[in-house]
Amino acid sequence: MYQIPREEWYDLTRSTNWTYSYVSEEEMFPEEMSGSRGIPIEAWETYDEPYKVTYPEYVSIQREKDSGAYSVKAALERDAYVDRADPGWISTMIAHYGAIAVNEYAASLAEARMARFSKAPGNRNMATFGTLDENRHGQIQLFFPHANIKRSRQWDWAHKAMHTNDWAAIAARSFFDDIMLSRDAIAVSIMLTFGFETGFTNMQFLGLAADASEAGDHTFASLISSVQTDEARHAQQGGPSLKILIENGQKEEAQKLVDVSIWRAWKLFSVLTGPIMDYYTPLEHRSQSFKEFMVEWIIVQFERQLADLGLDAPWFWEDLTKDLDVTHHGMHLGVWYWRPTVWWNPAAGASPEDREWLEEKYPGWNKTWGKCWDVITENLNNGREDLTLPETLPYVCNMCQLPIVGTPGEGWNVRDYPLEHEGRLYHFGSEADRWCFEQDPERYKEHQNLIDRFLSGQVQPADLPGALAYMNLGPGEMGKDAHDYAWAAAFKKQVSAA
Amino acid sequence: MAAFPINANFEGDFVMQLISVDTDDTMDQVAEKCAYHSVGRRVAAQPEKVMRVRLHNTTENYPRDMTVSDAGWRPTETLDIIFADS
Repeated sequence: MYQIPREEWYDLTRSTNWTYSYVSEEEMFPEEMSGSRGIPIEAWETYDEPYKVTYPEYVSIQREKDSGAYSVKAALERDAYVDRADPGWISTMIAHYGAIAVNEYAASLAEARMARFSKAPGNRNMATFGTLDENRHGQIQLFFPHANIKRSRQWDWAHKAMHTNDWAAIAARSFFDDIMLSRDAIAVSIMLTFGFETGFTNMQFLGLAADASEAGDHTFASLISSVQTDEARHAQQGGPSLKILIENGQKEEAQKLVDVSIWRAWKLFSVLTGPIMDYYTPLEHRSQSFKEFMVEWIIVQFERQLADLGLDAPWFWEDLTKDLDVTHHGMHLGVWYWRPTVWWNPAAGASPEDREWLEEKYPGWNKTWGKCWDVITENLNNGREDLTLPETLPYVCNMCQLPIVGTPGEGWNVRDYPLEHEGRLYHFGSEADRWCFEQDPERYKEHQNLIDRFLSGQVQPADLPGALAYMNLGPGEMGKDAHDYAWAAAFKKQVSAA
Repeated sequence: MAAFPINANFEGDFVMQLISVDTDDTMDQVAEKCAYHSVGRRVAAQPEKVMRVRLHNTTENYPRDMTVSDAGWRPTETLDIIFADS
């Protein structure tokens, strides 16, 4: 039977705006949900998505992807890769699943908001597929780790993490709630799909897929490649929205949405992806340093995309570039030192060979970060593990919800960016974090970070064990050193050999 | 006397920390309480130096015997604790 080629009917069938007779346009598309920003609906109808797909095509492709990933999983489960993988790599997977899996469901809701409330038919059509994508991502990233719960309760945090008050979960929720769940459809299309997915999920998923293949973890590599191919499609929803905003005199608004989401995404990736790439992935399997990935995917490629759209590089671009040598090293050291507060076992990544690699990739590392690790290493080798464990909380930023960190040692430069607003003193880890707050204080001012909760008596007893209980960390779940300090012992051997 | 929270930024360390001090504490005692969570943990001791306290990003140290209540800080005020010759 003759089938009309897709290009001949696609535009017509997805032009689904019509003239309402029972409700007004405002009732059909409430501004707080749609976010049309005064731009007429006719302009939104010019939205032209670069990637066009039909439902039969979508279903067929997705079926192939699922059957591929699930077959690899089934085949390799018998191989018990997880039992022989490097503990640093296991930690990578456990951290990833906890931070990402349930948020995929939240992303499904965000896509559904666009699918229902965007005034652009093309956006609604793509977001319908996006809703299904994110649902699939939630399911697959819960199902795969579930098989490993018999190995450790930490794998259960794929589902549990986002339902707790663990500090990392608070940070992830703060970011995702801000860009996905509490914004109008157009802001979601820009902040989630352009700001976050176009730049940063590429980093997490492509970078991690490369490291997974290198590490021999083909199950994880096939899973995240399957997710990433969806991301590559639905991440293209933000571009046409930005184009319409700019064409209708709202470049400043477009730029602000992009800038806030890029900064907040950067901070989350500095604690999640940075440590994984530069410290957890076994040295011999690291494909590139985190900084190299960031420069390639964000600094160069993303900046080019912004320019193509007629946008500027964010005002903090220079700060972000400088931070590539700082922030994730601090986040890593913080996560490792406060390891009982996370649901995975951080790999120190500070053996003599690791440190040589770090010095090569980040010249000056030994004089700065290395100075802190020197003290830690000495304590471990002198039987003073107690001194390598925390007895208070790190101060966390009122925007990113992550510790306020900076360069230690000989280049000591740790800065707070405080702000007094309506009688409350806020602390921020950077100028850009404070700037995000200042763009919309009403949105952020009531939020309490972990320190605020501690000081207001929500954490009981008000000490570190009380904080661990508040974070829902039970026995067998709290993080410990992934390699049982073998990396530190390697220094002892060096000394005795000399 | 009452517990008073500060945001401590210790010289050589990589992170700011929540430290509970007492309103009757002198600056030397404040420095000591902050040092407990940094020195010998991630910062090497400097026994020949004294630890001084000052407001974050300023250059003037508080007198060593000044008390917290006399300093007029806001709760969670950010303070730098630095190694000095005297």
